[in-house]
Order: sequence, then C-alpha cells, then structure tokens
Amino acid sequence: MTCLEFERDLPECVEGQPSPEQQAHLNSCPTCSGLLLDLNSIASQAKMLSAAEEPSAAVWNAIEERLRSEGLIRRSEPIYLPVEAKPSFMQRWRAAWLVPVAAALAVVAVVKLYHPTRLNNDDAKQVQQPIASTAPVKNASAKRKPALSHEDQQWLSTVAARPPAQLAKFRSDLDQANAFIEDAQESLQQDPNDVYMQQMLMNAYEQKQMLYELVVDDSSH
Amino acid sequence: MTDARKQQGEKLTEAEAIERAKQGDAAAFKVLYDLHKRRVYSLCLRMTQNTASAEDLTQEAFLQLFRKIGTFRGESAFSTWLHRMSVNVVLMQLRKKNLPIVPIDDTLEGDEEGTIKKEPGAPDERLAGSIDRLRLQRAVDELPPGYRTIFVLHDVEGYEHNEIAEMVGCSIGNSKSQLHKARLKLRELLRVDRAEKARK
Ligand SMILES: [Zn+2]
Repeated sequence: MTCLEFERDLPECVEGQPSPEQQAHLNSCPTCSGLLLDLNSIASQAKMLSAAEEPSAAVWNAIEERLRSEGLIRRSEPIYLPVEAKPSFMQRWRAAWLVPVAAALAVVAVVKLYHPTRLNNDDAKQVQQPIASTAPVKNASAKRKPALSHEDQQWLSTVAARPPAQLAKFRSDLDQANAFIEDAQESLQQDPNDVYMQQMLMNAYEQKQMLYELVVDDSSH
Repeated sequence: MTDARKQQGEKLTEAEAIERAKQGDAAAFKVLYDLHKRRVYSLCLRMTQNTASAEDLTQEAFLQLFRKIGTFRGESAFSTWLHRMSVNVVLMQLRKKNLPIVPIDDTLEGDEEGTIKKEPGAPDERLAGSIDRLRLQRAVDELPPGYRTIFVLHDVEGYEHNEIAEMVGCSIGNSKSQLHKARLKLRELLRVDRAEKARK
C-alpha cells in the first residue's frame, strides 16, 4: 500500500480500526502513522470543547423575564400579574391580595432583624422582592368577611399567643386573602374555562399558603 | 422547616424539574437551564465565534424549548431533545445571516484543502499529546464555516453523519468528507500555531 492509497481510506480509519493492509503501511510509514495519531487526537480532544464555556447571568435573566411575560412561569416566585388581561377584575382588586404576603414578609423581616444569623440569601430575597406590593388597597375586604375555614381557625389558634395588634393584622390579611379567593371563585363559576382566573385563583391559594407558612415558621423559631 | 423551603433546598432531578416546569414553576426552569446551559452555549459559541450572538442564540434555544415543554413526553432523552433544538436554532440563524453551513460539495472544489501537505515527517512532529483545549478551540474558530459546522456537530457534539446530513441538509458522504477535511485543516492550524510558539 502506498501513502496515496492509505490517504484515500484514511477517513474510515480515524477513530476506527485500521485494516491489516493499513496497519502494515502504518508500521512502515512514520508520516502516515503520525498523521493518523494527530487526527485521532484531534477527534478525541474535540469532546473537551463541549460545555467548555458558560453564558453570562444576563442570559438567564432575559429568559426568565420572557417566560414571565409569556405566562410560562406561574409559580414559586413572588407574583406574576398579567394586569392587561382582565382590567376590570384587577381594577377592583389592585394589590389587595398581595397584602397578606407583604405583611407576612414584613413580619419575617422583623424577626430576622432580631435573629440576624438566621438570615440566609433566600430569605433575604423573599423579604426584598414584594415590598413594592404594599400598593393602594381598595376596600375589597371591607365589603364582606368570608367565613373562616377550619384550617384558618387552626392557623389562627397557632398564632393566638402573638401580641393583639399582630394578631389583628394576621386576621385582616387572612380575610383579604379569603375575599380574593371567593371573588375569583365567583368569576370562575360564571366562566369555568377562564384560564386567567384559574391562574389567579391558584396564585391566591399559594399566597395564602405562604402567609400560613411564613407566620407559623416564625413562631417555631 | 416548611414544605416550600424544603423544596427549594432539595435538588430536583431532571424529570421532576420537567414536570414542575410544565406547571409553570420558576425554580424548575432554572434547574433545567443550569443543567444544560454550558453545553448549549458552547455549541452556539463554537458555531458563531461571537459571545453576543452565542448568548442570543442560547436564549432563543431555551425559550423555544420552554415554550414546548408541555409537549415533552419523555420518549426521548430531554438533553437530546434540547440539543437538537439548539442546533436547529443555531443553523437557522446562520442561514438567516447567509453564512455557509452546508459544506461545498467535493466535486465543486479543488484539491487544495483536502490533500495532506507532505511535511518532513519525523514522528516527533506529531501533535498528539500537545493539544490543549484552548489551542484547539482557537483552531476550530479559525476553520472555514462549512467545515466548522460539521466538525462541531460530529467531533464536539457527537452526532452521527446521518443525523448531521439531516440537520444540515447535505449527503452523508458530504458530511464525512467535510469532517475529514476539517480535521486535516485543524491539524495544519495547530501545527502552525505550535511552530509559531516554538519560534518565540
Ligand atoms: Zn505513508
């Protein structure tokens, strides 16, 4: 086998097994064996280039923003409000249903001030994010007070030892959350297929859950 | 500790993250992004040689994926699914910018690139063992675009020639021959690089 013949079949030889004829040529020809070694080495080293670099943090931030604006992110982060979707409902409520959470977070913030060592990064973020939500509140909760569920009553009893002013605040937060939920449920009765309202309701349940957890969590410290 | 906090603290598996992302869970999207960002970004960077373009393409690839995550049924591996999508996003962008991604067919081309330059070939002239990642990366970035696409898809990303032919829109034979030429060209670039270093 000549070098030219070897080169013709070389592509199949890289990262593969040389035929007996090719092997015989390789044994006798340092040029071709050097070439094959180099090409094998390039092919195997190339795998190091996969996942070699990392995008900047701006990429995730942009992705997250888009996911939110497109409504793909719906949970586990403060609050996503597609305000333009249902103006009437949102006008009626403004930020009222955010208040329980903001209030609960304020309580957490106070507790953390007294126990600074417990403040980890996640908590810090939670405390900071929804502060803007202490926006003007309509008298939505004043129009009616939904009955407290068994769960609500249990929760209130776990925090019963709190100072009266705090307790009153919890109670009013809870009433507001319940009123919001009731309102969303009413809307859904009229139009069960209203995806936006389904989402609002889900959010409201989650926010209420958060209120429960944040306050109870504090009392266990 | 509350459930919510427990969930945040625990590491999600990929399958769990996919299910939770389908429910719109922000943290789950982030988990999936973190698992795959390096591979997707590196692919985009190798194909474009430009960090700004690579970041744009990475963003686009993940957005396309996340928009379709509801349709992911788990028949194929998630990473395969994601990666094919990234490749498509990159290729589409390259096409838009009129960059050559389909290698020029052998028959239309002279022998210049394909033949092996006969150098005084003592065995110690070999590159083997002296290729580090950064040198190889630089050399890949210097490859002509058509070669680079095939080389990145095959040798870096591990796609088979039949898959590449389908993605890129060329024949399997074309993919094979372009890959070989790309490797030869890389060897040449790396040798020049080494010779220059040696002179300094
Ligand atoms: Zn030879």
